[in-house]
Amino acid sequence: MSLFRVWQITQFELTRIFATKRGLLALTAFAMVWFMIFKYLIAEAVPFLSDPIFQDIARQLAGSIGFQELISWPEAEFAIYWVISLYCFPIFSLFVGSDQTVGDRQRGTLRFLSLRSTRDEILLGRYLGQLLIIATLITATVLATLIIMSYRDSSLFSSGLLLGLKLSLQLTLISMPFIALMSFLNIVTSSSRLSIVMAILLFTLGSAVIAYFAHYTPFIDVLFYAFPGEQITDVAGQKNTSIIDWLIPVVQSVGWLLISIVALRKRAL
Amino acid sequence: MSSVIKVTNLSKSFGSKAALKDVSFEIEQGKTTALIGPNGAGKTTLFSILCGYLKPDSGQVEVLGYNIGDPKLFSKLSALPQDAQLDPRFSLEKQLNFFGRLQGLSKPNAMNETQRVLELVGLKDNLTARVAELSHGMRKRVCIAQALINKPEIILLDEATAGLDPANAREIRNIISDLSDQATFILSSHDLNELERLCSNILYLEQGVLSEHKTHSYQGEHSYITLQLITKPHQVLDYLKQLQDVTHVQQTQSKEFVIEYKAENKQFDIQLLKYCHKLNWQYRQLINGNTLENELFNKE
Repeated sequence: MSLFRVWQITQFELTRIFATKRGLLALTAFAMVWFMIFKYLIAEAVPFLSDPIFQDIARQLAGSIGFQELISWPEAEFAIYWVISLYCFPIFSLFVGSDQTVGDRQRGTLRFLSLRSTRDEILLGRYLGQLLIIATLITATVLATLIIMSYRDSSLFSSGLLLGLKLSLQLTLISMPFIALMSFLNIVTSSSRLSIVMAILLFTLGSAVIAYFAHYTPFIDVLFYAFPGEQITDVAGQKNTSIIDWLIPVVQSVGWLLISIVALRKRAL
Repeated sequence: MSSVIKVTNLSKSFGSKAALKDVSFEIEQGKTTALIGPNGAGKTTLFSILCGYLKPDSGQVEVLGYNIGDPKLFSKLSALPQDAQLDPRFSLEKQLNFFGRLQGLSKPNAMNETQRVLELVGLKDNLTARVAELSHGMRKRVCIAQALINKPEIILLDEATAGLDPANAREIRNIISDLSDQATFILSSHDLNELERLCSNILYLEQGVLSEHKTHSYQGEHSYITLQLITKPHQVLDYLKQLQDVTHVQQTQSKEFVIEYKAENKQFDIQLLKYCHKLNWQYRQLINGNTLENELFNKE
């Protein structure tokens, strides 16, 4: 495998979102959604959380769903940002990663590429490209949160910067297997929309079927570990998380990518 | 001459339908080869296997001594796959530069190559245009341009001139003809006249079975001349058979005749023209040899 070719493909993927009309439109929509989140959720909720009258109620409410650690963060903006991002970015990753190879395969563009790079390089390059896009967007939203928080209380800037870095890394790790899953679904379906439909079915019908069979055969529970996001509820409260919680998405990503590589090698282009 | 492509006992089926049956052939370096056959004969399947898009059920393919898919072939084998399109959202410059970079060229060299190949196909003024802005014919020419990046040794063109207007088709034929000294071309087309002009080797596929044959294979005991007349005179076949050294005459179209004669008669074409003049026959064309179409479809 040539890392040079992988990097060329990754760079090309970045231009797909940052240098095309369609990509820039998607980025504008993304920015507008986050503008709404910052303006109407984060900015509105922070005074509520900081108000001594509501603090007890908020603590009790957060405690009952395992978020008491988040409530204690002085960087309240990041607490709310974390809860929203934890579910937003995985879903967003599914959409951003929904056309890694399938569009080019249907159009025949992959045929031009496969005469110049191996299928493994194409798959990995495209995956890394999507991952870099998501990581960039996560970093951008973290920076926006940091700015809003520093505007409220500038003394929190340095602690907020470290917290922001930590959350960026954690959110990127959480998003990784979602993109890898879409790599695989792109190979077995015939359009990006169908890939999204398959992902939705996998997370709903698929998990329901496993839960049903696990009722009779408990060890089938293990199959849940193939589902990206399996550990999200464990890490959501930011308390008592273990290294395993952060290794799970890495292992899931590697697993889905290996399956994707095997599937793409066998597939006719 | 060394062979650049060696195919041995290649078979491929789609379900119960056999697309290729035990196909074997070799293509020598520099020998422009035509792949001919009716629709569904297995031409695109064979192309796809040679390019690595499809895996054969059995058999072996060696290109320049390497197996298909070997990274060493990346700058040596290129292709124009049938119906494949470049990404419509990006400019020609962006995509061809990207291909050049993948082939290991430096940024300046990739840019130079992009400009060179676009100039070859007459699109140098469209460097910054997006593929979506181009007409069908222009898109086809860009796809041909990408196959020429970094001067590959083997170029496979599947239906290269299909959908092009006559002037552009002629340009493409000229490019192939000009570059045939530098690369081995393998062409698939339904235009037999085009293939006849460009190719010295024919691979004929029918129902997955390959028969190889050489054009102008009339260099044995007998030679051929194809005569096309403007009108069809009375008893023309009988008159032609009376000519000295004629061994056989076949009517291939209403006013077209393939005349087989003894190869030792080196003056036969002059003799035939004088004969036409004497009988007051007006001819449209006199072809030295048999046409490819007649060789393939009018075998007696």
